[in-house]
Order: sequence, then C-alpha cells, then structure tokens
Amino acid sequence: MYASARMSNLCMLSVALVLLAACNHSSPGLSEEDFSHQGRGVFILCEGNFQAGNSTLSYYDPSTRKVENGVFQRANDRKLGDTGQSITIDRGTAYIAVENSGIIWAIDTETFRVKGQLTAGQTEQHMINPRYVYVSNAEKAYATDLYAPYITIFNPTTLAYRGYISTAQPQAYGYSNTERIVPYGQTLFVNCWCYSRSILVIDTQQEAVTDSIVLSSWQPKAMLLDCHNKLWVLTDGGYGTDGSTSSFSDNVPHLYRIDAATRRIESDEPLDTDEASVEMALNPRGDTLYIINNDLYRMAVTDAHLSVRPFIKAPKDSQGRRHKLYGLNVNPYDGDIYLADAVDYSQAGVVYRYSREGQLVDHFRVGINPSCFAFK
Amino acid sequence: MRICARSLLCLLAAPAFLHAREADDEAIPERRDTLRTVQVTATRRLRDTGLQMTRLDTLALRENISLSVADVLTQHSTLFIKSYGRATESTAEFRGTSPSHTQVLWNGMRFNSPMLGTMDFSLIPSYFVDDATLYHGASSLAVTDGGLGGAIELRTRSSAQEGLRGQYVQGIGSYETFDQFLRLSYQSGRHWSANTRLSYGTSENDFRYTNYDKKVDERDAQAGIVRSYHPRERNRSGYFDDINLMQDVAYNDLHGNRWGATVWCTTSKRGLPFLSVDYKDDSDFKNEQTLTAVRSVATYDHTASQWNIGFKAGYAHQNLGYDYHTTRADVQTDITRSRSYVNTVFLQATADLLPAPGWMLTASAATYYNHVRSWDRSPFHIGDNFDTGRWEGHATAQLRWRPRERFTMAAVLREDIYRTDMQVPIPALMADYLLVRPWQLTLKASVARNQRYPSMDDLYYKPGGNPDLKAEKGFTYDAGLSWHRQVGGYEVGGSVTGFDSYISDWIQWTPNTKGFWVPENVKRVHAYGVESSLNASTPEVRGWKAQLTANYAFTPSINRGRRVNSDDASYGKQLCYVPRHSTNFTVRLTWRQWELTYHWIHYSERFTTTSNETRYITGRLLPYYMNNVAVGRRFQWRNVHASLRLAVNNLFDNEYVTVLSRPMPPRNYALYLEISPLWKKHAKH
Repeated sequence: MYASARMSNLCMLSVALVLLAACNHSSPGLSEEDFSHQGRGVFILCEGNFQAGNSTLSYYDPSTRKVENGVFQRANDRKLGDTGQSITIDRGTAYIAVENSGIIWAIDTETFRVKGQLTAGQTEQHMINPRYVYVSNAEKAYATDLYAPYITIFNPTTLAYRGYISTAQPQAYGYSNTERIVPYGQTLFVNCWCYSRSILVIDTQQEAVTDSIVLSSWQPKAMLLDCHNKLWVLTDGGYGTDGSTSSFSDNVPHLYRIDAATRRIESDEPLDTDEASVEMALNPRGDTLYIINNDLYRMAVTDAHLSVRPFIKAPKDSQGRRHKLYGLNVNPYDGDIYLADAVDYSQAGVVYRYSREGQLVDHFRVGINPSCFAFK
Repeated sequence: MRICARSLLCLLAAPAFLHAREADDEAIPERRDTLRTVQVTATRRLRDTGLQMTRLDTLALRENISLSVADVLTQHSTLFIKSYGRATESTAEFRGTSPSHTQVLWNGMRFNSPMLGTMDFSLIPSYFVDDATLYHGASSLAVTDGGLGGAIELRTRSSAQEGLRGQYVQGIGSYETFDQFLRLSYQSGRHWSANTRLSYGTSENDFRYTNYDKKVDERDAQAGIVRSYHPRERNRSGYFDDINLMQDVAYNDLHGNRWGATVWCTTSKRGLPFLSVDYKDDSDFKNEQTLTAVRSVATYDHTASQWNIGFKAGYAHQNLGYDYHTTRADVQTDITRSRSYVNTVFLQATADLLPAPGWMLTASAATYYNHVRSWDRSPFHIGDNFDTGRWEGHATAQLRWRPRERFTMAAVLREDIYRTDMQVPIPALMADYLLVRPWQLTLKASVARNQRYPSMDDLYYKPGGNPDLKAEKGFTYDAGLSWHRQVGGYEVGGSVTGFDSYISDWIQWTPNTKGFWVPENVKRVHAYGVESSLNASTPEVRGWKAQLTANYAFTPSINRGRRVNSDDASYGKQLCYVPRHSTNFTVRLTWRQWELTYHWIHYSERFTTTSNETRYITGRLLPYYMNNVAVGRRFQWRNVHASLRLAVNNLFDNEYVTVLSRPMPPRNYALYLEISPLWKKHAKH
C-alpha cells in the first residue's frame, strides 16, 4: 500500500513536471516600430561579430544628440544580417551592404523602412559578399565584392539586377576582391584589397576594366578623391607579422597620392606598423585629410607628409591604454569628426563626436564593432 | 489533494538536491535484457578520496543510437553544452569556464585537439563509450592537467559476457535521418574478449522552421507593401554522413596480467548550416567539414595484492578539412579552404602501491608528442598556418591516507613540461569525511591550483598566433555533501557542492585592426556557484518501476579582468554564452516490458556580448527549455531479444536557438529497432 502511494506520488510528480516543462518562451516576433527622422542625421553601421548575425544599425541626431540603436530591426522586424560592411546614402535611400549575408538593403533614411533588397541569389551568381555600393544615378549603381571577380550593376531605385563588370584580373592567390569605388568623370577607380596591389580603372561607358594602377605596397584598403582630383590610397601592407616567409607581405601600411587624371603616383609614405591604419576621411571641402594611424592625424591635401603630431589622440585610460579606433568619417554638412571605438570587439562600441577643431562634442554607445558612418 | 500537495512539495524541493549521480562503486546499472544486472554497493574507494565526480549512467549512454556524448551530457550532467545543432560542433563547459578548460581523456589518452585545445563531443557516438566519468573542478587533477573547469574520462570496455553476442540497431528519423549500429562481442573462457562496433549515420537534416530573422514583403505594382511575413525556410547545408568503426581486443591470463588494445576510426562529412540571416543560395555553395581520424590505445596492466602497474601507448591521427567555395560553373571561387593534419603519440606508465592499510600511493608519468601541420586559404591568410611539433611531459604523484575509518585525505602533485617550458608544480589537497553512515552522508572538500598551457593554435597559428602567451592559471576550492541510501528497494542519492574558482591570464582571441584574430592573456574570471544532483528509484511494484535523475547548476562566471579601456563595460559581467542556471531531469517509468523516458532541459538566458547587452534582440538568447520523450517496448523470444522505441524530440515544438542565428529543429521523431540474437551458447541459459 505504502509502495503504491509512493508510486502515485511519482506519477503525479511526473505529470506536474511535464506541465511545467510545457511552459516556454515563444520565439521573438517583434512588431515594426514607426520612425520619422527628418533633417540631418548620422547612420552608424555596426559590423557585429562574424558568423553571429548580429550586425546592427544606429541612428544619431546631431542636433538633439539622441541616439537610437538597432533601428533596422526595430523598424523592419528582421535582422540586418551578418557583418554589415558599408552604408551609402543617395537621394533619401541608404544602401547597406551586409557582406556575409549576401545582401544589399535599401532603406528609407527617414523611416528606416526597407524599400527593397538585392540578394546574391538575384544576381545570376555574380554577387557573393557585397562590400561597397556606389550609386551613379537613379538607374545605375555598382557593388563591389569580397570574393566574386565581378562588380555587380543594379538599379538603385527598383533594386533590380542589371548586369556585371568582370574585373578581368588574374586571381591573386585565388581571390579577386574589389573594395571601394571612387568616381572621376566617366571613370571609376576601384581598389582591390585582398592579396592585391591593384587599383582598377573602369570606363563606365564600356562598363569594362580598361587600365590599372599597381602600387608598391600590398592591400589598398581605403581610397578617396580630394578637391584637387588627387586620389588618396591607404594600404595595410598585408599580414606579415613576424617576418617569416609564411606570412603575407611586409605589414607596412602606405599612404599614396595619385593624380586621377594621369594615374601617376605622386607620393608614397610608409606609416606606423604597430597597428594598421584602418580608415581615412576628407573634410567637407575635400582639402583636409584625416587618417587613423593609432591616433587620428590631419593633413592638408597639399602637404608633403602626414604631420608628426596627431590631431586627436586616441583616448587613454588611467593606465595609459589607448582606445582602438575602428571607424572614422567626417560629416560633410558641418565638418564634425566621428570616431568609433570597438572596445573589446564583443560589446557595444562607442562613438566619439568631435568638432572640426578637435573638441569632443559628444560620445555615445552603439552596436558591436561600429565601423561605418553615413550622413544625411 | 494530499498526494497533490506532496507532489508539488517534491517539485519545489527538487532543484535544491539536483546533481548527477556520483558513483561510489564500480557497479553500473544496466538494462535487463541485454546488459548484466548490477548490484549497487556503497563502499568508499580510497582512490576516489575527495573527488567531486559524476559517472554517467549506462542507461543514459545507451538510450538511442542517434545520441552523441554531447546529447548525453546535456541531458544528464550539470555541464553546459554549447551546440550548433545535431552533427555540428558541440563543446562542454564545466562550472562556467570555457570549452578549452574541459579536458577529455579516452582510455587514458588526452582527447582534446592539441591544435584547438577543445573537443567536439558531437563526434563521439554515445554507443562507442562504455564508461564516462566527469571530474569537477580540482578533482580533474587526479586524471590530467589543464582541466580548469573539469575533465571527462571516456572508456571502452571489452565484453564481459561469455560467447558470441550481437546487437543491431536501426534508427529512422525525421529529415531523412538513418542510423545503423552493429556490435559483435566475443569472450572465450575469460581469457580472450573482442568487441567490434560499427555505426553509420546519415541525414539531410533539412528541417523547416519559421525564420524570425527574415521577413518577406509582398509589394503591389506601386511598390507598396501588401503583406509581410516571416518565411518558412529549411535548414540549408545541414547534412551529415558519419561512419565510426571501433575494434577492441583484450587478453587476461587470470594471473593478474591483462593486455588490451582499442582502435577507433572515424570518417565524417558534415555540411555547415547556413546562418538564418544568410541570403545566399546554398545550391551555389559548398560549405563542408570533413574529418578522418584514427585513434588507438594499447594497454598492459598487472595487478597484485599490494600494487598495480599499468602501461599505455597510443597513437592518434586526425585529418580535418574545411571547404567553403562556390560551385558556379564559370568561375571557381575558394572562400575558405583549410586542412590540418594532427598526429599524436602517447606513452604512459602508472603504478599504485598500497604500502600499509589505509595508505595508497599512485605515481604516473606520461608523454605526448603532437605534430600539427595546418594550412589554409582565406581572405586573411594563404599557406601554412604552422607546421610544428610539440613534446609534452607529465608526472603525477598522489598520496591517499585514511587515518580513521570515516576520514580520508589525498594530496596530488603534478609537474608538466611543454617543450622546454617547465611549468610551476600543481598541488591539490582533497579530503572526505563520512558524517552519517546509514545515509553514506559524506562531506567532501578539495583545493587546488591548476593551469592550462596554450594550444598550438594559440601559440603558432599564422597570422595572429602569440608565442609569448602564458599558461592560464586557476585556483579553485570546493566543498559539498553527497549521500546515498537504499531501503527496501527504494534508493535515493544526491550531492550538493559549492565551488569558488579564480582563473587569471585567460586566453582570449580578439580581432586586430587588420581583420585577423590574435590571442592574448587578458581576462581574469571569477567562477563560483553550486552544483547539485538528485537521483531516486523505486523497487518494482506490480510491474512498475520508476527512476528519477536531476541536476542543477548555478554558475555565475564573472569577468574580473582589467578593462580594455575606460569604455569597457564587461567588468563584473557574466561571460558570453555561459548560463547562470542549468537544470535537467530525466524520469524513467517502466511497466513490464514497456518503458517511458522523459527528459527536460533548461538553460537560463545567455548573453552574446561581454557587456551583457539587453538593449538589442541579439544581445541575449532567451531561456531555453527542451522536452524529449521516448516510449519503448522490449520483446523477448527464444532466440532473439528485440526492442522498439519511438522518440519524440522537442515535444512541444519550441522554436529556439542555442547560438545566435543558428535555428534548431522543431518537433521531430525517430524510431529505433534493436535486435540482439541469442546464439547457441547463451540461448540455453
């Protein structure tokens, strides 16, 4: 009898536990939040962590100093994707290339709502991991790629795939990467970062590569055109970390100035090697160059060399450790400088806003690994 | 009402007693039809002095052929298993530490990859393990170094049953999953025994799920949104194709000498599932991991009345490949292509001496030689990552002393050397005291230093490897109670252990500004908490029998390392992907030839950022609850025993992820048919 009662208890316990177990959190299904941000604003694209799918988009209003984080997801009830690479604004639309998701989003810059998207599957297999977008006009935009030997052409209004430009480059160690696009007349300059020293010259009429510029340093990573039509190119020098032959290249970043018309390299300056230069930007007039090289440096585009003293020193903590600056851009409307600090690469990063005179105006937290700014 | 109140009381009280069963004896309960009946005794072994250890129930290891050791640990231990889904990487974390702080031994040989420092438990079918023991915290020093969280010892055993025996299991499951397992064992006159196991598992693993990370907008001609919805998608590139073959053979001369050898071969091909936020078409890509591995261990043991000696020699080879490339016709693009070849040679000698009553001295020396050649092609590196060998030497002395019948203490001293880098000696002290004899209520305590030497990837990988890395250092102490009582066929046991651990020079890989990752000794972690377990079983009453095992762990694991800079918000926060609460229970009800098994597993929320962000939906993973149920029936005929078992996993069809952007399967089913022929010799019995 006693044993039967215990058995009953056990059965009851089992039933109770099963009922408890049935309780569960449902999967997230967020509603779409309404935004209406008119006027000037700053988009901060946060890469997130590779293979985590936690890239996010933040929005900052410089006048109210209010920041909204995760606006893409909040406005659209879907994730931005894995490894947001770049954001480009054109005519009220922000184009966000999310590299490892194989997608380019087009969102409204006021409501943050998705207007359309171009996915790898729509491009007849010519786009794999989109990196940067350049919008030529309302009907034509170009997207570069980390892996594909093509530059994808699409309609930025309808997001319809239009075609491609073959980079016509021999694969460098198996890769045919294209990065940033700088327009100059009917020419597009496209730097090839991955295992390359080349800058491609593309004729937009022929939609073909017609020439290239070969640098002495490896891996051109950033490229800009100043007010004098000089092309500024920053390389990272490859991945040589210890001088051994199994490492790639010499690890010495270089800063080049190239005349866009003649395509002649006018200056070549090696930079600090203890930490790679990650970004550069121009002021609104295009006559001043900002470069992250541990600290932030500023130079007139007519200067022969980068200044010895930094313009803004990377903030240090009480023990002298310097923030790692991860992203940089200059607001073309007021000249304010935006610097991103990734902290430990696994937590919400911090954005610093400086005036054009180098005074700290504001700082705020955004998403993981903030790397790219776009201004409307 | 009274019964109901009692049940609820039990329910509420259960978590306080939870913890995996600690075996205080050599016996292992086994299934009646195919495995020998065992007798549970409560002898305190001198060898187990002060050890906080959990022996996994054989029933758990043999529940079904689809389970890997990762699944068994999820269901039956306090460990946190970080899994990307079936047949994808699954790592184990003890007490809020990292996967590399869990050391794994297979038949005495270290099983962690010397290259990565971790172990993928999804690659170990539970049917290929006969005995699994978990050593928590300081107790791991009794078997190996480097287990800052703990260690897991996996063993295979030769057949203990006379004559030829066979077992075949056929599993058929959802998503075109097929599992086959064959085991043949033979023992002759108690001298020779041999055991052959073969398993073959394949699956498309292309389950459908609602993808909440995506949303489809249907638009009209004016591009206005007519309707939006989260699409139903299938798990892409999640297939697997695993073959395992194990052969062991043993000879016992019945005069104290025993020779044995085990060889285990694995070949595995696994698709790596696409992220839920990936918009690429999987038909254009191949994203696949391949593994070919051979592991072997030969042993010799001599047992005398006052001393034992044992020798082991082992060899392991592993060829691990990873390919991610487009399969387009016009241009072949390798996104990533990597290969690593790992060879390990292992030698060990162990001696136990019982010089006087109540004294036991154990000494062992082991050496490993690991050679790794690793190369890859990716946007960040081309060519050899490294091609190097590393010699390791390990020596251990353990002294155990039982000055009184109720009190036992042990001291362990380890010395480890990696290449020419002599490590600081590691001491550990353990003790236990029998408080209440009828309940076998025992107080256990231990304190130890420990350290983990960096893996070969940590040191040599190019680009990024850091040859200046120091060993991670740990200091841990714990104390707890365990008990066991058997009255009139009712059996109850359990344990509660509190622990406190400090780990400094924690190695963390962070990306540098060029995009590749670099390891550094940056973190300092304080991990503390409670592990508990409860197990209970009833005698058979009118054909009914019930069994309950439950585990609970409270594992705050707090970053106390120096801040990267003043913006670093990770100080004082829980480590990423470490739950503070882990709970599971298993209820097993049998009635005559029927059996019902119910598993419930819970992990509390896990943060995905070091600063424990909750402002973003991607900042944390929601608490995880899982319910699995299986019902089976045994059949016994004259010449064959058989069983049929239906398993329902994710019973309540929960939609969940255990890692960001990695969807897990909805409710799914599997049917297992097991056949064990009774050949001439034992069919007579």
